[in-house]
Amino acid sequence: MSITVRIPTPLRTLTAGQETVQVEGKSVRDLVDSLESAHPGMKDRLMDDKGVRRFVNLYVGDEDIRFLDGLETELKDGEEVSIVPAIAGGR
Amino acid sequence: MQHLSPRFERRTLAQQQALIVGLGGLGCPAAIALARAGIGRLHVCDDDEVDESNLHRQIVYTPLDVGQDKLSVAKARLEALGPCEVVLHRTRFLPENAQDLVQGMDVVLEGADNFATKFLSADACYLNGVPLVQGAAVRFLGTVFARADESQACYRCIFEDLLPADQSPNCESAGVMGPVVGVVGALMADLAFDILAGDPSRCGQVFSFDGKKLVLRTVAIEPRSACRLCGKESTEPIRTVSRALYGASAAPINNISGFTHPQCI
Repeated sequence: MSITVRIPTPLRTLTAGQETVQVEGKSVRDLVDSLESAHPGMKDRLMDDKGVRRFVNLYVGDEDIRFLDGLETELKDGEEVSIVPAIAGGR
Repeated sequence: MQHLSPRFERRTLAQQQALIVGLGGLGCPAAIALARAGIGRLHVCDDDEVDESNLHRQIVYTPLDVGQDKLSVAKARLEALGPCEVVLHRTRFLPENAQDLVQGMDVVLEGADNFATKFLSADACYLNGVPLVQGAAVRFLGTVFARADESQACYRCIFEDLLPADQSPNCESAGVMGPVVGVVGALMADLAFDILAGDPSRCGQVFSFDGKKLVLRTVAIEPRSACRLCGKESTEPIRTVSRALYGASAAPINNISGFTHPQCI
């Protein structure tokens, strides 16, 4: 399953500046592992020991994975996953 | 004569009022847009002085204002831009005053640099039935989220709760780009105008502006039934704001450990 992942600007230091990356994954959990293999350090930025970090949201298409099957959400070939981080700043 | 927009009656806007939490990089452009459009009352909440390091992005101020208090400068500048009364609240936005500050507003715009203020704004506005526009920017990334009414998700539907200080994301040296906060502040004003005009259709989604690619993306957010703030199935519903929700510190919430700097993942 080739999945397009949209990388937010704060994480592009891990993807050599790439806005999107293509990785394999049958589920979101798989996908995070693939991201970690291709771009070491990514998993720690997305997950802690309880699962997806609270200030990170993962979307498959337009759907928040919390409303799907969480990390076990299945992915179909060609789908797009977006990482939406909480940010504070700009004052 | 060029009119504001078909969605507006200027005389209606003149009867409305908004609160801007934080007159910084995001609050300045948003305040200018609201003042020029002719909002009746523009309440501004801040307790800071103008610093030279602010000037590249905080576009209400000039080099001559360095060292002066932001609110005094802002009142003169903003009232000169359009027919609006600027009401000053010389304080930080705190659990003790948040509900009083938001009450009666037609919309609140929050552009604070810390998560504690973001959650506090979301809570105070939800509990008082006040629409809220929230903006943030770190380096080249900006986000805007607005909640107009009961049918839409709130900030806690998305990000749930503050992190413990030891897990706090920390990008204290990240900084912000002046033009990026300008774009985000303008988007905040644009969504505020939607709310003031009674059109909630673009609210309830997160807009992410990528200042490197110049791309704006949107993700629609659904309300979460287990949300502590707006969820009907929450086991620990939030009924009022209190300092305990934003950290145990007795210091102003902007100074709670771990939430003092521009942050990112």
